[in-house]
Amino acid sequence: MKLGTNAWQRNLFIATFIIPTFLFFCVFTVYPVLQAMYYSLYDWSGSSDNKTFIGLDNFKEMLHDPIIWIGMGNDYFLVAGKIIGIMILATFFAVALTRFKFRLANFFRSIFFIPNVISVVVIGVLWNFIYNPQIGFLNSFLSLFTKDKVDITWLGFTSHTIWMLLPPAIWAGIGFYMILLIAAIQGIPESYYEASSLEGAGQWHQFRHITLPLIWEQMKVSILNIMMTTLNGSFVIVMIMTNGGPDNTTQVMGSYLYQMAFTQYHFGYGAAIGVLILVLSMITTVILQRLMRQETIEIS
Amino acid sequence: MMFKRHLAALSLAALMIVAPLAGCGSKDSSTSTKTEDASSSTTATTTNTDSSSNTTTDDSTKKLTGDFEIQYFVGGYGDKWWKKVIADFKAANPDLNVKESGGPKINDQMKPRWVGGNPPDFVYIDGPNLNDRQMVEDGQLEDLTDWMKDATNIDGTKISDILAQPPQLFDGKVYDIPLVLNSWGVFWDKALFQEKGWEEPKDWQSFLAVSDKIKAAGVTPFIHTGKYPYYINGAILYPAIVSANNNDISILQDMADSKVEAFQQPAVLTALNKIVELRDKGFIDKASIQINHTDSQMLFLQHKDAFIPNGLWLPNEMAKDVPGGFSFGFIPSVTQDSGGKVVANTSTANVAIAKNAKNKEAAKAFLQFIFSEAQASQWAELSGAPSNIKGDISSSSAPSHVKDAARYLTDSNTVVVPSITFNADVDKAMQDATDALTIGKITPEEWVQRVVDVAKKVKK
Repeated sequence: MKLGTNAWQRNLFIATFIIPTFLFFCVFTVYPVLQAMYYSLYDWSGSSDNKTFIGLDNFKEMLHDPIIWIGMGNDYFLVAGKIIGIMILATFFAVALTRFKFRLANFFRSIFFIPNVISVVVIGVLWNFIYNPQIGFLNSFLSLFTKDKVDITWLGFTSHTIWMLLPPAIWAGIGFYMILLIAAIQGIPESYYEASSLEGAGQWHQFRHITLPLIWEQMKVSILNIMMTTLNGSFVIVMIMTNGGPDNTTQVMGSYLYQMAFTQYHFGYGAAIGVLILVLSMITTVILQRLMRQETIEIS
Repeated sequence: MMFKRHLAALSLAALMIVAPLAGCGSKDSSTSTKTEDASSSTTATTTNTDSSSNTTTDDSTKKLTGDFEIQYFVGGYGDKWWKKVIADFKAANPDLNVKESGGPKINDQMKPRWVGGNPPDFVYIDGPNLNDRQMVEDGQLEDLTDWMKDATNIDGTKISDILAQPPQLFDGKVYDIPLVLNSWGVFWDKALFQEKGWEEPKDWQSFLAVSDKIKAAGVTPFIHTGKYPYYINGAILYPAIVSANNNDISILQDMADSKVEAFQQPAVLTALNKIVELRDKGFIDKASIQINHTDSQMLFLQHKDAFIPNGLWLPNEMAKDVPGGFSFGFIPSVTQDSGGKVVANTSTANVAIAKNAKNKEAAKAFLQFIFSEAQASQWAELSGAPSNIKGDISSSSAPSHVKDAARYLTDSNTVVVPSITFNADVDKAMQDATDALTIGKITPEEWVQRVVDVAKKVKK
């Protein structure tokens, strides 16, 4: 390696940018993951000075813990529900705002994006009010159509409360993916659509045979992104809206981790749940990628 | 030209390295009421360079020096008393550098310091995510058993003589001292009841009777917070268990010790069936299951519901939202049978000294300072809650519900349940089960089964 050469200077230049970020990445992302794996092998309360090594006992206990299975089920339910809900609505809005030629398209684009800008916590509190049985918007609205006042406890169902967490999650997520898909659709040359409409293809046909294949890459990315952010981030909306209740029916793995680690003083067990989330995310990513594999159609 | 480009690029890179480090300084999170915040765990807290421990072993008239740090949670009781008493302590000890760390999230903020073995000297154990039983098990609190035997306050009275409730014993030892004496109970609006001609409840039968009347008048009798089931557990279930157990409180202490036989006593089933009775008669507000404490309290204040299980911090917590003319009526328990004794399920908020405290002398002196009779009235006035210090507060300007509560607590006919901390897992199981019971998902027998299963695991 000769100092002072162009190659050396270029490498130095590149390194100056990469190394600090890489260090931060290692310290704040890789190290906590390794620490979590380390703590998952211990029985530790989270605040005492000593911890006992118990090997894989935490994981064995997880197999027998019914709430973990409820959590996994809820997590995947949210993943599936969000993927279907967000992709359908985001695609529809994206196509509507680009292909249907509205005049107010830009205005609607900003409006639909606003929920994404609002913090998830605010969204949780907002929907808590909407679902409130006494003063909530939903019940007041439904009461317009019924004789007696509607007072359904939307977040108090015996076992299906998790369904009520889908609307806020979908509502919050549409904007970002819609923008992504709008950008993708705008990358498709107009000539394709002109040619097809000359040959008599309607909107649906154009969508099915031109738009969809050409934006498939972006849709794939969106689906993977939704899955990953849900497995990790559904914790916030669950904690704010239901605290995992009633009776642990809306627990997701993230909220159960928090409860076990910080409220019930089983930090090792919480760390084990964290490792579980990591493993499940990786497996699901691989599976989804396999399922969605399709040759990329290049625009020549 | 090339040189200038290189210089620009290198300085940009240097900036990128330095800029994030600036963010590494004290990350100030959102609490509003704290003053000096010691929460930046990356910077080391000031260690004593001069000798902080005074070599003489007299009481607090000697000069205290060095640093002294206090951690206190700010919740329904506010922080007025803390600020006043710390200011008074500072004035009495001008050479002592007193640092106070207080706020609604202080327990979470200070947690890294406790974990890292560098805790504050003095801690007020209250609020979420801080459990004295757990702290004792983790070896974080100083053993005060011997000190308590002879400790006197600044007036010369023995501290153990003026405590209304003695410290909870962990394996026979004392680790924390109760400062605030609170009671769970049921609240109503005296003014509303007078206006509608509803009788104030004295026992279970009168409670059910007046609830029938209330329901007929179109108001829901009872609301609670389903998000935090420990409210209904504390104010209804546990007193009911004691009443059904012939006013013998040892059953609760056995439950706190996670003894399986305690949960299988018939008194527990009797108590659970009272909640079932409330549920089946339609007295419980349907919205309860999904709302939190402030929502339930707001509905109570707006007269949508007549009764609410809560603690004595309620009037203070909702002070800004209480409508004019509202007058808090309070009784520690309604679950006793006709002619039975009132059961006061007390909860205390305790103070303790950290095992790894650096200035234990100052901490002990502070204990002597705050456990004086003058502080009983001062606490009641500034926080709106009864103090654990025995003292006649009837002449103080404490709010009337506090004086009422103090009356119940000192009445010889009241069964006073000393403060009890359950194991965290068992507590959660009981809370989940009560929630499920109130919405009809499980039966009382299943409640017992669930909790017994968890108790068995914990006792192992």
